[in-house]
Amino acid sequence: MTFQERIPWGYVAKRLLTFIPTLIGVTLLTFLIFHVVGGDPSYQLSGKNASLDQIKLIRKELGLDLTLTRQYLIFLKQTFTFNWGQSWSTRQNVNEMFLFGIGPSFFLAFPAFIASIFLSVLMGLFAAYIKSKKSWIDQTLTSTCLALMSISLLVYIISFQYYFAFYLGWFEINGWSFDWTQRWSYLTLPWLISLFVSLGPNTLLFRSTFLNEVHQNYVKTARSKGVSQIRIFTSHILKNSSVPIVTIIMMQIPYLLTGSLLLEAFFGIPGIGGLLIQAIQSADFPVIKAFTVMSTFIYLLFHLLTDLLYIFIDPRIELQDDN
Amino acid sequence: MIKYLITVLLISLFILSCTQTVTSHSNEVVSYLEANVATTDPIHSTNKYASTVSSSIFENLLHYHYLKRPIVLETQLAEEMPHISDDGLTYTIKIKRGVFFQDDPAFPNSKGRELIAQDFVYSWMRLADPKNKALGWWLLDGKIKGLNEWRNGSADYAKPIEGLKAIDQYTLQVILNKKSFQFLHVLAAPPLAVVAREVIKKYGDKINDHPVGTGPFKLKSWIRNFQLELVKNDKYHKTFYPKEGTIDSKKKGLLQDSGQTLPLSDKITIRIITERQPLWLSFLKGQVDHGIIPKDNYHQIFENKEIKTEIRKKGIRVLAQKRPDLVYISFNMEHPILGKNKKLRKAISSAIDKKQILKTFYNNRGLIAQGPIPPGLPDYDKTYTNPVSYNLEKAKQLMTEAGYPNGKNLPVFDYDLPGSATWSRQLGEFLKDQLSQIGVSIRIVPNTWPQFDQKVKAKKATLFDQAWVADYPDSENFLQLFYSKNISPGPNSFNFVNSDYDQMFEQFLSLPPSQKRFNLTQKMIKLLNDESPAVFLLHRLFKLPYHSWLKNYNEYPIIYDHLKYLRVDQHQKQKDLNKLKNG
Repeated sequence: MTFQERIPWGYVAKRLLTFIPTLIGVTLLTFLIFHVVGGDPSYQLSGKNASLDQIKLIRKELGLDLTLTRQYLIFLKQTFTFNWGQSWSTRQNVNEMFLFGIGPSFFLAFPAFIASIFLSVLMGLFAAYIKSKKSWIDQTLTSTCLALMSISLLVYIISFQYYFAFYLGWFEINGWSFDWTQRWSYLTLPWLISLFVSLGPNTLLFRSTFLNEVHQNYVKTARSKGVSQIRIFTSHILKNSSVPIVTIIMMQIPYLLTGSLLLEAFFGIPGIGGLLIQAIQSADFPVIKAFTVMSTFIYLLFHLLTDLLYIFIDPRIELQDDN
Repeated sequence: MIKYLITVLLISLFILSCTQTVTSHSNEVVSYLEANVATTDPIHSTNKYASTVSSSIFENLLHYHYLKRPIVLETQLAEEMPHISDDGLTYTIKIKRGVFFQDDPAFPNSKGRELIAQDFVYSWMRLADPKNKALGWWLLDGKIKGLNEWRNGSADYAKPIEGLKAIDQYTLQVILNKKSFQFLHVLAAPPLAVVAREVIKKYGDKINDHPVGTGPFKLKSWIRNFQLELVKNDKYHKTFYPKEGTIDSKKKGLLQDSGQTLPLSDKITIRIITERQPLWLSFLKGQVDHGIIPKDNYHQIFENKEIKTEIRKKGIRVLAQKRPDLVYISFNMEHPILGKNKKLRKAISSAIDKKQILKTFYNNRGLIAQGPIPPGLPDYDKTYTNPVSYNLEKAKQLMTEAGYPNGKNLPVFDYDLPGSATWSRQLGEFLKDQLSQIGVSIRIVPNTWPQFDQKVKAKKATLFDQAWVADYPDSENFLQLFYSKNISPGPNSFNFVNSDYDQMFEQFLSLPPSQKRFNLTQKMIKLLNDESPAVFLLHRLFKLPYHSWLKNYNEYPIIYDHLKYLRVDQHQKQKDLNKLKNG
């Protein structure tokens, strides 16, 4: 079967159609939250010496004088045309802002993500392998992972930035370079922090995935045939765990694109996280809308891609309409 | 194989990370801002961040002397100080000849043309144009004859305005509706800077990315949330570093560059660093030339209010900046209980220990406010003491007199915080604790900035935390906070309405700074303290650290065009960087 023949196009089309009600639900929720707790930005945008006329003019320009239904319909139109217009606070095109920010956010998150997946799979395999032999090593590893998980990201950032960047001077404290050769020096420390933060939960997740496989019949068969333990773990168990591994990986990718608010703020990386913080602080609704809808869309898309990947990983899996 | 790969990966990462990038320009100043710059357009430049950038690119008729304190006005694009008619209404202003806009494709052959008086007429019409919704419009609102009518009518740029015209190529005439002794300060405000019509026409909505003025710097690059780069405008008109300053300017080394052509540096990099830790650490590493001292790091620099010797040896200096500002707690005078009960407001004010606030939250950096006017401004009386000062016993007595002994029958008041920062919450908790001693209960309500602004401007807040930094150095800027015509959404967020005060304020406006005005101001302050629409807390003193290689650092809140006076002594920098590196 060719690649195209293996894709259940009917299933894909139906799943794509389900995006519509989900997106409508998300837009409705975002819209309601913004109007209930967001605060009317025209008061802030009118400055400290505001007048009622000024506020009125700004409300009109932002479309806040329209009925809520009309405002929501405009939001829906923007959602399905991916045209968010201009930011209310910076007057930049919102799409251009995101296109600019997505690169730095991606460079910040992706390498650390790859390293984290690679290391946590290895550590998960090792923990599952060692559990039956030397349980104290497994216990130490599990406890270490739990300890790593219990420390908040902010503590990692503050302490690592102070100790490694400032005190030891191994890394840059803050900044960004558009020159590839220099960018690494700004990114290494945030990568390491991301790695530390994600290593604990990922290792524990993979460990339990592998442990679920350890007692399967195919493992017993392989053992009875005299296959070495290392080969059983690296070849059989790893292969049979690929579905949950792929799920974990694919479900984390959308978050890589939406940026890390704290890491970007502390390390001065001009990514999407910074845009979002600023948008929330200034009730910049076009940016908030774009962020919410785009992240939902990416999340849904990766969900679908994950399902499709299953049929390539495990030919026994068949995607059905009611799945 | 895997082991080999991991080793290679880790070694590569380590080597790459250790590549320290020192890409300092030979004569570059590295400055910072703590918030993103939303605009470079002068008409919207009403906060520190936008004004710092726009005032480096655009210029006004007047500006403030960089060194003299109290702060004084001097000419910038005006040839001489404006000639004011005897009735105080007509301002005739000669503008400098031979001043050119920066080169830009908007001009024929991309060569900036000469500045003319008509450019000011256009720029101020643009500020008044309702389509632009300029944040700086309040500066001209109601001041120039015919300008409000033009704004409310067709706003047609071809239509002349009676009080705003270019008499000839180099002379501007402004006719005011009524005498205003603050108008000279208005001429120095960033929103009144001059722009070229051709540039606005060419770039339209994209004007933010193409600021073209007559100023000392041009915008080279601007990456939002990251940094701005300004480079020297080679065509900048002849302007020189001041030859005079305060008594101690010379001692502080601020007159070393007297007579030098401005700007003193070729490039200014403004980094946007929103978090305090990285800003502080970057400063200590010498990666920014000046910075801030976070509240919790104060002890690292000072010992008994003096800079520690080891810190001085590293070349770190501190600028003490007395800010023309006021930190206060506002009462909404439209609140049915608080607004109607003067004794209750006075009881609350008397129960708050301002000294303790200054010590705990400001490291004693500031001065307890006795009224709204900060020191250094005209009409400030250093001998005056607010009779409504901290006195717990008196506060309890006032509660009884107010009809709420020990807070009996008093509802819980919401205390709104602008933001949800830890520091702000801690101050809220402190006040909660203080007020509980007289039986007043408050509920701390954190807000986002837009929520807070909406609550205050829509008169929905009850008790709230605020600060006001002078727009210009005149006591009027603080006294107008209590004028009834400025109630919310205007700056009178107390919604304080008092006909006696209004009458005195209107009289104040007609007076030049004088003994008579001083006496009148004292009466107004006494009335304010008696009515207590606010708890006047303090005027802040900032201690701003800088490296000794940064020359002429003398930042002051109202002076936004300060970047052109700064330069870096490279030799000193290399020496001090080594000291910083060696701990």
